[in-house]
Amino acid sequence: MKKYISIFLMRLKMETQYRGAALGGILCQMFFGLVYIALYRAFYAGKPQDFPVSSLVTYVWLQQAFFRMLLAFDSELGEKIRTGGIAYDLCRPMNFYGYYYARSAAQKLMGSLLRAIPMLLFAMLLPDGWCISAPASLPALLISLLALMTGLLCICALDNITMGVTMRTIDPKGMQAMLNLLMMTFSGNILPLTLFPDSWQKVITLLPYAQLLDAPIRLYTGEWALSQAPRVLLIQLFWLAALTGLGLFIWQRNQKHLVVQGG
Amino acid sequence: MDTVKLYFRSMKMLLRSQMQYPLSFILQTISQIVMTGGELMAVLLLIDRFDALNHWSAGDLLFIYGMMDITFYLTECFGRGVTGNFAALIQSGGLDTLMLRPRGIFTQTLCRAIDPRRIGCISVGVAAVIMGANLASIEWTFLKWAAFFESILLGMLLILGLFLIEVIFSIYSVKSIEVVNALTYGGRSACQYPIDVYPRVLRLLFMVVAPFALTLHVPAAYILGKPLYGWPDFTAFLCPLAGAVLFFIMYLCFQKALRFYRSTGS
Amino acid sequence: MSYISVRDLSKSFTVRKKREKGHLLREKTQIQALQNISFDIEQGELVGYIGPNGAGKSTTVKILSGILTPDSGSAAVGGMIPWKERKKHVKRIGVVFGQRSQLWWDVPIIDSYSLLRDIYRIPESDYQKRLSELTDALDLGHLLRTPLRLLSLGQRMRAELCGSLLHSPELLFLDEPTIGLDAVSKLALRDFLKEENEKKGTTILLTTHDMEDIAALCQRVMVLGHGKKLFDGALPQLLSRYDTLRTVHVRYDGGINLPALPDTCLIEQDGDGHKITYAPEKLPTTQLLSLLQSAGNIRELTAQPQNIDHLIAAMYKEMDL
Repeated sequence: MKKYISIFLMRLKMETQYRGAALGGILCQMFFGLVYIALYRAFYAGKPQDFPVSSLVTYVWLQQAFFRMLLAFDSELGEKIRTGGIAYDLCRPMNFYGYYYARSAAQKLMGSLLRAIPMLLFAMLLPDGWCISAPASLPALLISLLALMTGLLCICALDNITMGVTMRTIDPKGMQAMLNLLMMTFSGNILPLTLFPDSWQKVITLLPYAQLLDAPIRLYTGEWALSQAPRVLLIQLFWLAALTGLGLFIWQRNQKHLVVQGG
Repeated sequence: MDTVKLYFRSMKMLLRSQMQYPLSFILQTISQIVMTGGELMAVLLLIDRFDALNHWSAGDLLFIYGMMDITFYLTECFGRGVTGNFAALIQSGGLDTLMLRPRGIFTQTLCRAIDPRRIGCISVGVAAVIMGANLASIEWTFLKWAAFFESILLGMLLILGLFLIEVIFSIYSVKSIEVVNALTYGGRSACQYPIDVYPRVLRLLFMVVAPFALTLHVPAAYILGKPLYGWPDFTAFLCPLAGAVLFFIMYLCFQKALRFYRSTGS
Repeated sequence: MSYISVRDLSKSFTVRKKREKGHLLREKTQIQALQNISFDIEQGELVGYIGPNGAGKSTTVKILSGILTPDSGSAAVGGMIPWKERKKHVKRIGVVFGQRSQLWWDVPIIDSYSLLRDIYRIPESDYQKRLSELTDALDLGHLLRTPLRLLSLGQRMRAELCGSLLHSPELLFLDEPTIGLDAVSKLALRDFLKEENEKKGTTILLTTHDMEDIAALCQRVMVLGHGKKLFDGALPQLLSRYDTLRTVHVRYDGGINLPALPDTCLIEQDGDGHKITYAPEKLPTTQLLSLLQSAGNIRELTAQPQNIDHLIAAMYKEMDL
């Protein structure tokens, strides 16, 4: 376990090195946030909805702020899969599932924190109707943070499954692009899940994609009351266990397969 | 004429080299269809929930959305040399190679890449335009067709011009500048919807700085029979010229920037 | 006026250092890549251009091929200023970078060539003639339908060379053309270059770290260091200047130690023997031998020939490069 923690910490440090690149990204995210909000406000002006516009604005800002958590982009691993170098890794006597899990968790956490803090500050300074609202209550804030962390773990497990599945296909790029699309759509990044048809929402909020950002945000805005928190956490823990188990299974099978084939 | 011939020859060759990996090509094209399809679905869901946006009906929205998609992805398909990662070309010393040949650098930049997979995205755009045109029951006339194609063509020039900004920056700094994405990809996302639903700052941005409103919304509104801000019909043909103007300015800046090019060490 | 005439050419780059801790702005430093370089090259010459990494060789080539604009000074190639009339100028020159490709990766090389034909506007009849000439000389005929990515390194270099010569340039810049090639390919490449130079009268400027290339091909060498021209003349002349040291290898019967030798000798332990580098000017060879003999029974004594790479290294060292 200690090994994975030190990988995690090393990765955190590395992420802070790319401040320059992060700045451009943040400005772009802010711009996109403003455009989305302007658009949704215009839609709301014609036909107000149950989900208040202020909550939707908050939803957009939080999505933008933590956008990087969604990106399944571990360039080193991607490159290794592309070149086939992953085979050598898998033949080594180490649990690479854990290694890449720790790596991607650190990358996502630090990468998004670096971006989220300035973004959220900016979003707070905006005029009424455009700015992010305060959390429904202090407990709501705390529980949403907890949910965010569990959600992050779920997503890392999901990423590792994606990698595990694409590892042995000839063309990982196309497959990864599709799986990324699923992520973008059902995490609420392209369109807030609250704007999906109500009947769809019953199902998609249960999917693992919704656990990362959608569920914590709903807890934050108070759309889901505190009494719902245990249900959310239970769903998250279920996915965490299921996805980690499946991922481990796939990676171990890959490993065996490669060892048998001799790389 | 010779330059055009060279461009098409290059495209033919690049296409052949992409077809060396047919499976990969097919898979990636499909994944792009699914991707743009997903974005289109988001629009349909929004329309489903809100019915309309100001005075723009569902058909109007789909039509404008589709036109933007077609314009943008056509540019990415045929202008991949400019819209692709130019900083990488500089870092690898590829720009040096271009400078060693007796042709214009812009021509060669255009000739260096094509992205035929975008055909998937373009087809989604075409589908949106057809759906939108039917829903909005557009009565097509010759002039409307002319406005349609003029808008797409000059919109492509506009987008190329905006991507050139990034190219110019990367010539100076050897790095890519992400902020410019706010104008290009940001402009695409924002201007998939009519300009007049946005607050004034954004309207100004997309009228003056990155005039998508002039190349796209003015002619599209004319075709839909709902002139933007009640402007007279001839503006639908005049305004898109802004795209050509912006492109031309950026083209000149690009030529200027090349003189400051300092190459990378070997 | 000479074919290539360079006068007082200077070029500097601004390099931004990485930001250090505690500093708000990054420091900028000027690097003088070229300082008042002057030289002339006549048509048909084959000139070697050497110097350690970062000496300014590539910068010179880039200026002469029109990629870079110098800060000051002048350069003319065949009466044209490269960076002012880039398009006209590059039509007459060919450039090969050993580590970079100008051909297209995934298509048969013949397709790359026909695109180059269009780019250089080579008339079809000239193109066919030149192509068959080059494919014969470079032994490429059977590879024309093969995509570049499937060629070996040596084949690829030959393919690149063919691509750069299709438009019959009168001036050829070669940057490390033999890097990574096996002995056979190297020799074949040298023969080809020699013939191209002698038969077609192509002027060639060869940048390399491989001293054998220079020794085999060039009548004239220019040495560059820290942006300055340090030597310009024939290779033997350059070598004789630094060929002042000799090395002998000595091994004694039993474990006898070396006798005390003058400080001017450089002694290195080498297995159970010693390597002694000395300057015959300061310590005549007979004197060294009698010193060595006085210490005991010599089992083995070999004199080693001077390696050209060592000479150049000694030269760079003395010039403080």
